[in-house]
Amino acid sequence: MIVTSDRSTDLPDFSTPPLNEVVLGVQFSTPKGYLQIHAGRVWELYRSDYPEVQEHAPLPPNFETFGIAHQRMSMPQIRFDSGGSHDRFWFVEPSGTELIQFQQDRLLHNWRKVVGGNNTYPRYEAMVSRFKEELVRLQEFMGTLSSQKLQINQCEISYINHIVSKPNDDLSASHWLRFLNFDDVPPNDFSVSAREVIRGPDGSPRSRLTYEASTGVLANGDPLIAMTLAVRGAPPSGDIESAIDFLSEGRRIIVTKFAKLTTEYAHKKWGRNQ
Amino acid sequence: MNMQLRSGIYSQANSGSVMTNVFSRRRAPVTDVMGYWRSAVLDRLEELTRLNVGWDGYDGLPVSLENATFALRMLEVTCREDTIAPQIVPGPSGELQIEWHTEFGDIELLVRGPYSVHAWRHLPSLSADGEEQELTNDFLLVARWIEELSELNIVISAAA
Repeated sequence: MIVTSDRSTDLPDFSTPPLNEVVLGVQFSTPKGYLQIHAGRVWELYRSDYPEVQEHAPLPPNFETFGIAHQRMSMPQIRFDSGGSHDRFWFVEPSGTELIQFQQDRLLHNWRKVVGGNNTYPRYEAMVSRFKEELVRLQEFMGTLSSQKLQINQCEISYINHIVSKPNDDLSASHWLRFLNFDDVPPNDFSVSAREVIRGPDGSPRSRLTYEASTGVLANGDPLIAMTLAVRGAPPSGDIESAIDFLSEGRRIIVTKFAKLTTEYAHKKWGRNQ
Repeated sequence: MNMQLRSGIYSQANSGSVMTNVFSRRRAPVTDVMGYWRSAVLDRLEELTRLNVGWDGYDGLPVSLENATFALRMLEVTCREDTIAPQIVPGPSGELQIEWHTEFGDIELLVRGPYSVHAWRHLPSLSADGEEQELTNDFLLVARWIEELSELNIVISAAA
């Protein structure tokens, strides 16, 4: 089992990483006996820390499958218009910084930088520890509806970075991102994405790393590069321990890749320690 | 049909704080190759998720959105754009049987649920029982089977 209380010393580390949001999530088969009317009882599990609730459209199921390489970057979704549907609920902390997303087959924990705030990232170790506790609580509640434990079939870990230039900085993408070089005529804007199959020691596919970079603007008009790295896939088994191990491995892949994809100039700006 | 990005951006909670350039994601393709198998499969899967309980005259369950989505993701990594659409048959427990039957060979994929697939094929060159495999997330073998069957059809049809 991976110890989650201490930060790994072999991972790249930054004093001021450009992180804007981190998502830890799992997808599971809808537990037997669960109906949307139980969502209020699920909120009660977390309400003391997350007193605000919001309703959002549900996330469709997602699965990472592997085969021929030339997959489409965008996937069609099945339109599901029969029977009952379940909202996705956000249970939000008073500060708005951390929130839980819940629907009948998903639990996600988001940390985000709030607009105008200086809230610091609590670090993965603290975040995953909290998420694990939230998963255990959900499993215990679902256990009151049927004897079945959560059957987790997909995990996701995403790091969203906002690379914002200070007024005297140069926002040329190649200053920040090693894999972009637009020569002497940089474009006005760009959007690129790439995918990579992560394989186990036996060569079999385990998960998929996706990284995307796109220019954009903040609400105040400041330009930025939004860079997202995500690892998704099925955990080796469907239990919580296996899912947490998957997320920790995904985090290692993302942090290592982020350091490889960004330049030394960027590392200096963000205070790389190791 | 709703096209979703692979990035899973919707799991993010802070995406409203920035407007990124999404030009490449929203442009309408001039020729979106939805022909052949994909549109037929989507229509069929949507139809099967709308089945009523007892659709088979007994206690048959409809196909869940979860199973239907997994089947679609499996086909996305096994079928070429020009692959012919398979037949899709529901089972009483919500499972799916995905089948190609030609005069030159057969492929059958039983999707019991996400990451639980029994794959079988038969070609004249194989033994009478054909060959079979249990699969989870890696469907490269099935992709090869489909390609071989497609090429066999093309070669033999052209020679006829």
